[in-house]
Amino acid sequence: MPKRLPGELPALIRCGLVGLFCLSSVSAQQTLRWGADASGGAPYVFNDPNHPDQYIGYEKEIVDALAAAMGRKPEFIPSDWETLVSALQRGSFDVIVNGLEPTGDRAKQIQFSKPYYIFQLALTVRNDEQQIHSLTDCRNRVVGTLGNTAASRLLQKEGVPFRGYAEPLTAYRDLELKRIDAVLMDVPAEVYYVSKSATLKRATEPFFRGTYNIGLRKGDNALKTEVDAAIDKIIRDGSLEQILRKWNLWNDAQLALHIPAKAGQASNNVAYEMTSTSFNWREALWRLARAAGITVLIAFGSMCIALILGMPLAMGQSKGPPWLRWLCTVYIEFFRGTPVLVQLLFLYFGLPTIGLAMPGSLTALLGLGLNYAAYESQVYRAALEAIPRGQWEASYLLGMNPLLAFRRIILPQAFRIALPAMTNDFVSLFKDTSVAYAISVWELATAYRELANASGQFLLLGAAVSIFYLAMSLPMAHLARRLERRLQRRQAVEVVETEAVESSSQ
Amino acid sequence: MIRVRDLIKQTNGTRILRGVSFEVAPQTVLGVIGASGSGKTTLLRCLNGLERIDGGVIECEDVHLDANLSEHEYSRRVKELRRKVGTVFQHLYLFPHLTVLGNIIEAPTHVLRVPRPKAESEAYELLESVGLRQAARRYPESLSGGEQQRVAIARALAMHPALLMFDEPTSALDPKRSAGLRSLLRGFVTRGHTMVVVSHSIGFLEGLADQLLYMEGGEVVEYGETDSILNSPQDPRTKDFVQQAQ
Repeated sequence: MPKRLPGELPALIRCGLVGLFCLSSVSAQQTLRWGADASGGAPYVFNDPNHPDQYIGYEKEIVDALAAAMGRKPEFIPSDWETLVSALQRGSFDVIVNGLEPTGDRAKQIQFSKPYYIFQLALTVRNDEQQIHSLTDCRNRVVGTLGNTAASRLLQKEGVPFRGYAEPLTAYRDLELKRIDAVLMDVPAEVYYVSKSATLKRATEPFFRGTYNIGLRKGDNALKTEVDAAIDKIIRDGSLEQILRKWNLWNDAQLALHIPAKAGQASNNVAYEMTSTSFNWREALWRLARAAGITVLIAFGSMCIALILGMPLAMGQSKGPPWLRWLCTVYIEFFRGTPVLVQLLFLYFGLPTIGLAMPGSLTALLGLGLNYAAYESQVYRAALEAIPRGQWEASYLLGMNPLLAFRRIILPQAFRIALPAMTNDFVSLFKDTSVAYAISVWELATAYRELANASGQFLLLGAAVSIFYLAMSLPMAHLARRLERRLQRRQAVEVVETEAVESSSQ
Repeated sequence: MIRVRDLIKQTNGTRILRGVSFEVAPQTVLGVIGASGSGKTTLLRCLNGLERIDGGVIECEDVHLDANLSEHEYSRRVKELRRKVGTVFQHLYLFPHLTVLGNIIEAPTHVLRVPRPKAESEAYELLESVGLRQAARRYPESLSGGEQQRVAIARALAMHPALLMFDEPTSALDPKRSAGLRSLLRGFVTRGHTMVVVSHSIGFLEGLADQLLYMEGGEVVEYGETDSILNSPQDPRTKDFVQQAQ
């Protein structure tokens, strides 16, 4: 009896530990957490329009097949295309399955499985387009594409001006709206969107070859082996081909993957053009500087609109007839009460449905201008109300009409009162230009996201972008402070002079 | 110069002025006295068109203002009236963003379209006459209350008004400065100006006003030569007020 106790306890502990281990390994074994961007992600993975709480897509079906082959349960973690790699590294999920092609930059951060799809690029134009028959015809045009993809890198390499979009749909819509001249996109997205459009066509046969691979964390070698084996398995048993045929994505290019795999050749020697451009700091800073220029343009342009439009709004709201007061109040409350992001999206995507399609930077300029006009009108109103009624009456009694009194007497005084608040608004407008990223305007925030995601240099680029912002907003704040001081000093100097005169006369 | 008959002003049904009549001859000063709330300031605001009258007539030289005029015609005539009437407010309302000189030439250059050099030399003359020539380039903020008041007087005079009106000119002045202001104004009268001075201070009006008008509750209680009102008031209410003031 006494002998059994020492043996029994470790056994119990051992049992417990094994049990815990089993439990945890069972749950790890059971799931395959995969990340992808489902917003505008058709046909890869996207919300089923008929059942918006469910995800569909050919890559979803591929993951289902892979997980079945691995004996795991797939778990989808919706994420954001631009931050997929960093989210994987953070451990938000275990694999990226999102039409990800291996590039030199990405290979520094993560590792890749063997390829499961060979993609080509398709150049799309409007039906009435006569001039564009190849990528070289686009040298003087603007081509839309997804940011940080093989297509965008190819365009960059070829020196074709391009705009990076977050979603294929918006790129194709802008093409239809003539905001851009062509779209270069991976064939799967092109097949899905262009086949539905009556106004778009292929400019040329698909060209270029690259591969989609599954992204894994470096060091997750066991998982990589498992995934590679699963890819081989779904190719051999034909389920991959079946999925691709179902989504209209099967083509002869795929044979390069399927024939060797079916023949039992374990290693894949499919090597295609790698579009990876290695990260170039000089070019990155140059692009940031250009983005900073656009940011400045948008900020100044929209502030001009805000300052000019704010005045009639303020006057209408405080002095107009009842219907005008009501109208101005509705305007002001609408623009102050709804997020500027929503307003921009509305202007960019909503207005074209009534035939008003503006380019992105103009939309951002106008949208921010209209939004800030609402705020400026309140600054004006407060400043105007701070001017004593007696100033108006004194002006009238000197024979001035209301307009003259306003221009010469009231406005200069109100301007001084409003200046600090206006400066404040301008600095905050300056930072608000970053919402223009939502409508694919290449300003600083967009530049940061795209460059940082392409290179993984979040920290250094973040510092560089912050310096750009500060280099622009600090001088502005300084300038405003100097103007304020000058307006005050003009009076202060007079006081000092007076005192000097008085003391000398005593 | 200015003649007022049966002037009525009411706001929200309350009568603030109940039939006020008087007349100011050229080169004389009318002093309007009365306690706070007697309607003195409202009377002034009717005379310069800041308030629309509800009854009676105001005649100033060739401008005829009548309660029955249409809105449009009334405001047209008010503009003409304002060319003839200059006002110095109790709170002055100088333009703080303009220099003393700027305050004075603002209306002549922009309303009368006098060329700037001419307006400036006139302004310097006016400043000379109120003893502030050296303050031309200063801002109102840096001046004392008395100096600011003299700037306001110069600003009103720059428009060459036929009639100059003051609302409580002594409210911010000590006795010594009140006396100074009185002799300044007296000087303007001998040089041909006509004035209406609203004040609750009998001491200030004595020796300045040729005629006095005592108001109470929006009515003229007594109106006549200054000497006779101060020395032998007929109405017991006037008698009370004069006695209390002395």
